[in-house]
Amino acid sequence: MTRTLSYPAALRRAIIAPLLADLSLALVAAAALAQSGDVFGRPSPPMDPREAFALAVEPQPDGSRLLRWDVAEGYYLYREYLAAETEDGTSLPLETEPGVTKDDPTFGTVEVYFHDVEARLGVTEGPVRVTYQGCQEDGICYPPVTETLPAIEVAAPQPATEAASAPVESPAAAPPESGITLANEDGLLDGLSARGGPLLVLTGFFSFGLLLAFTPCVFPMFPILAGLLAGQDGTVGARRGALLSGTYVLAMAAAFGLLGLIAAWSGQNLQVALQSPWAVGMVAGVFVALALSMFGLYEMRLPQAWTGRLSGIGASRGGTLGGAAALGFTSALIMGPCVTAPLAGALLYIARTGDAWLGAGALFALGLGQGVPLLIAGTFGARMLPRAGAWMEGVKAAFGVVFLGMAIWLGGRLLPGPATLALWAALLLGAGVFIGGLDRLEPSSGAAPRIRKTAGLAAILAAGVMGLGAAAGAEDPMRPLAGLRPAEAAPGTADNETAFTPVTSVPQLDAALAEADGPSMIYVTADWCVTCKVIERRLWPDPMVREALAGTTLITADLSEFDAEGQALLDHLGSVGPPTMVFLDAESREAPGSRLIGEPGVEEVVASARAIR
Amino acid sequence: MTNLTRRTALTGGLLAMGGTALWTATRPARAQEQPLHPTIEEVMFDLTNPVLGNPEGDVTIVEFFDYQCPYCKANHPVLNGVVKADGNVRLVMKDWPIFGAPSVRAAQLALGAASLDAYQTANNALMATEGRLDVALIEETLAEAGLDVAALDAAYGENRDKWDGLLTRNGAQAAAFQLRGTPAFIIGTVIYPGAMDKAGLENAIAMARG
Repeated sequence: MTRTLSYPAALRRAIIAPLLADLSLALVAAAALAQSGDVFGRPSPPMDPREAFALAVEPQPDGSRLLRWDVAEGYYLYREYLAAETEDGTSLPLETEPGVTKDDPTFGTVEVYFHDVEARLGVTEGPVRVTYQGCQEDGICYPPVTETLPAIEVAAPQPATEAASAPVESPAAAPPESGITLANEDGLLDGLSARGGPLLVLTGFFSFGLLLAFTPCVFPMFPILAGLLAGQDGTVGARRGALLSGTYVLAMAAAFGLLGLIAAWSGQNLQVALQSPWAVGMVAGVFVALALSMFGLYEMRLPQAWTGRLSGIGASRGGTLGGAAALGFTSALIMGPCVTAPLAGALLYIARTGDAWLGAGALFALGLGQGVPLLIAGTFGARMLPRAGAWMEGVKAAFGVVFLGMAIWLGGRLLPGPATLALWAALLLGAGVFIGGLDRLEPSSGAAPRIRKTAGLAAILAAGVMGLGAAAGAEDPMRPLAGLRPAEAAPGTADNETAFTPVTSVPQLDAALAEADGPSMIYVTADWCVTCKVIERRLWPDPMVREALAGTTLITADLSEFDAEGQALLDHLGSVGPPTMVFLDAESREAPGSRLIGEPGVEEVVASARAIR
Repeated sequence: MTNLTRRTALTGGLLAMGGTALWTATRPARAQEQPLHPTIEEVMFDLTNPVLGNPEGDVTIVEFFDYQCPYCKANHPVLNGVVKADGNVRLVMKDWPIFGAPSVRAAQLALGAASLDAYQTANNALMATEGRLDVALIEETLAEAGLDVAALDAAYGENRDKWDGLLTRNGAQAAAFQLRGTPAFIIGTVIYPGAMDKAGLENAIAMARG
């Protein structure tokens, strides 16, 4: 738990620098611990002053402003410390209402506001700085908080600064210090929830899962399940098969739901975690391991010790319920990269509404949907599939190749493009050789061997072309020789390169938006976001994308250094992490339905870019 | 212990999922949140800052406070009582003036008193005031405590750089620890935001001793 350190005087002087750094780290960590929990039953930990005294600003038609502080229960604001000034520091009169005289000996006579309070600020040109100060009762007194209100848009044209001056409608839609208005109905889950309540949300995500069940990410589940069903000798009846695969699917869905709950409960950014090179690399490794197993290098099954312990429930025949559950639970992790978009939708909903249960329920339904084909295969598959034979080996080998392909696809987010292309070439070469591309044909050979030879030779030829392309620095497996062609009329020369303004904090973002003339697009990215690499390689150079985004101010919200400011930026944009694209029109309002999460296609980017024109 | 935090539980949850790598992957980012945090030495053993209680004590209580902060003042006799009863605690009162000019003035005069070996007197006198302060009230209070305000002011003026530097460091530390306001305590290696009662202080001291 809390690391405690003692430091007698003598030791204190002997402490060396690196150790000091370590100690101070522990101090900070402990601070985080202490601030998040209430150790000694004192009043709850103090809120952020901007939450405790949420400020909403209503611009009036006459150019004045109505300021309203929503003072949280157990907090109070000092009347005396409410103040406003112009950007250059000239004090502005603020009409305030009388407060309550706090009747406490330590206070003397101080007027405070325990509840909501309004103040009126006269007509002012340009931005205004508002300062307020208050305390948590019997807890803590905050330093003054200053917020800058953007200038009110007046009828007279005010060039340059207009983009930042969109009036603030409510503190929930956009914090008072900024001009962004996020689209409200962008959340997939929000939409479903609004239309049909929780039931529609759950069925919606279930159908989603069904669709996802036919993506390659679910393929590994079939051999895993097959191994589970046929792990022991003898056949597995339909009922036992259904029971086992049902357990497997339930556990997998539960893992998804738990992910949602953990995310909601901890505030941890799961999309950030799933996009880390660690997670992607690990999953790629799992695919390689699966492929090797398909090639017969080893049999995949749970360690003897586990099976021994878990088999208490069921008969020894054909796998155990405990084993099925454990496998299903861990299988969910393999599918992480496939479900980024729905996952982000559900997590965003959880974060926004705090309704962890519906969010977790939606992810659970998603997992169930993905499991339906597995359930069917598990129930009937055992009977439908013939005994293992030579052809079964072929199917397994094909799966192995697919898995290696998945691993390369994932690895492509981490590796340089030519290296990935070289891997594709190697995979094709191997596949071609194993299919029989180099086997000798006899004159008497029938059609089947000849077709195999043709396919194998085709694969080997393709591998050769790709290998050549990789050596020449090409990246796209579909156009491996693109690099060999002389730079034919490279559309858009270097100076026409899509230029992004990088920002790392909310104030920087506001500044960038203030300079924007017309629509803007904010691209949330980070060095460690592997999908972003793909986007940057594929989408930004695309001529259609470039054309659609011409005239749009492009801003990258760079989260490479993921710190408190980065989190604030994410919260500000209502995003759960990179990659996300937010499209704002000329008034800095997000176009409804335009937000793109994950790795979108060219058409989607173009459509969203058009929405803000 | 009651401080089983979300963080701790989160680790458990992820471990249970076999998702340790997810957790590890998020950690480097977390460590970067405070690139330049103060060291223990800087926070607890700032040579410029007067030390109350037992200067040789084995536990240090640091309090970030303001002479106009009602809870700092209401809580001060309790704090003094705990420090005295324990007898082995260093008390470091760190001025963090957040209530404007009078708070800064009070801090300046009290620190000036440190040069005259009268910091404790000045600090206790100012902490015993009620509510809001103005310069006249501050000077009156110090005079009533038997101190020569002109001498305090002169003593502060002589070492102005030293004292102003201390106030700047205190503010920087408060910002680095993301302290919400005053009072804020650091006892051992744990930050406790907000006022603490007797039991709270005693528990924290016991925890700091391990």
